Amino acid sequence: MEEWRRNIWRRILEEFRRVEAEISRMEDEFFRLMREAEERSGCITPLYNIYESGDEVRLTADLPGASKEEIGLIAGEDYLRIEAPCRSLLRGGEGRRYVLHVRLPAKIDPQSVKARYKEGVLEVIAKKKITGYKIRIE
Amino acid sequence: MSEAEEISIIEVEPIQGRDLIFIEGFPDVGLVGAIAASYIVDRLEMREVGYIDAEFLPPLISVRNEQIKELIRIYHRDRIVAITSDIPIPPHMIRPLSHSLVSWIKRKDGKLLISVSGIPEPNRLDIEKPEIYVLGSRPEITEMLVKLNGANRFKDGFIAGIKGMLLRDAVRAGLDAAIILAQAHYNYPDPGAAGQVVSYLSKLLGIEIDVKPLLESAEELRLRLRDLMMRTDQVMRGIQKSKELELPPVYL
Repeated sequence: MEEWRRNIWRRILEEFRRVEAEISRMEDEFFRLMREAEERSGCITPLYNIYESGDEVRLTADLPGASKEEIGLIAGEDYLRIEAPCRSLLRGGEGRRYVLHVRLPAKIDPQSVKARYKEGVLEVIAKKKITGYKIRIE
Repeated sequence: MSEAEEISIIEVEPIQGRDLIFIEGFPDVGLVGAIAASYIVDRLEMREVGYIDAEFLPPLISVRNEQIKELIRIYHRDRIVAITSDIPIPPHMIRPLSHSLVSWIKRKDGKLLISVSGIPEPNRLDIEKPEIYVLGSRPEITEMLVKLNGANRFKDGFIAGIKGMLLRDAVRAGLDAAIILAQAHYNYPDPGAAGQVVSYLSKLLGIEIDVKPLLESAEELRLRLRDLMMRTDQVMRGIQKSKELELPPVYL
């Protein structure tokens, strides 16, 4: 490859790395703040996912070491709150609580909420709240 | 700067032997590979014999039990060489690492390179026993893998990240390689899926590995691996890992 072309490529690559470093710096800040908040409050924020489909909002959260009877689940119109003691004997687990409070991407009908806890994963399924006028198609 | 200069694979104790089988467990989907490879290293009491360093790696060391550890470590025992990593492979390191690893294994005249990973399964919660999917770099290898213990074929799809690049580089270099995948949670550590892979590997390698202790400590492992899973999730977003949930376009 010619020298000038190699130089351009090198510069593009350097730019990519600079952007990557910048993003990773921001991520690192996010991890630090979350970790420090956890350490201070003694609460663990579980890993979770939210899935939104046409008529449902589904949330799963990884709560290893909790038990079905002790999970507190509160559903609001636009949020879900999960609290549970973590019974793991692992350092950092014992005596701690899982706390997760998430805003949902759509309004739900809190009375429709169903939940199950299986092999350490909590799954919550809620029906979306539908308000509006029905329009006839001509 | 050439790729070879950016990645150094250091053998502190020279790895010698014929027909070596290399198992790679870099963290990705459900940390299946990472859990499986580390478990095998532990159960077989493999010796730490080397490490991989690169300028792309963050300036970090691991400290375990007052011992200073490299981030990406190489273990060896008998015919088996295992590679584990304490951090997800940074996106810019994926291509050069894959290239260097394959050339290194080729130089060692390795018999087979095995990547271990998870296949994202949205219904994982309803699956008692995750299924195993296999793919070889040549049809003959795929046949051998499928016949063993009735594994499923990985027919169509995408494989993103280091696992995909390793397979591609192996094909290009004429090195025999395989990927073993278990249905797994995408971004929750999944020791159950790792257990399935370990069982499969123990048949493939013809060595006895009891997976019971792994499954018994699953709960604890999941909590302990939460940080690595979060970091890995971040990296997976940067390399289109979600593409694995899609099918390649077919026009006929």
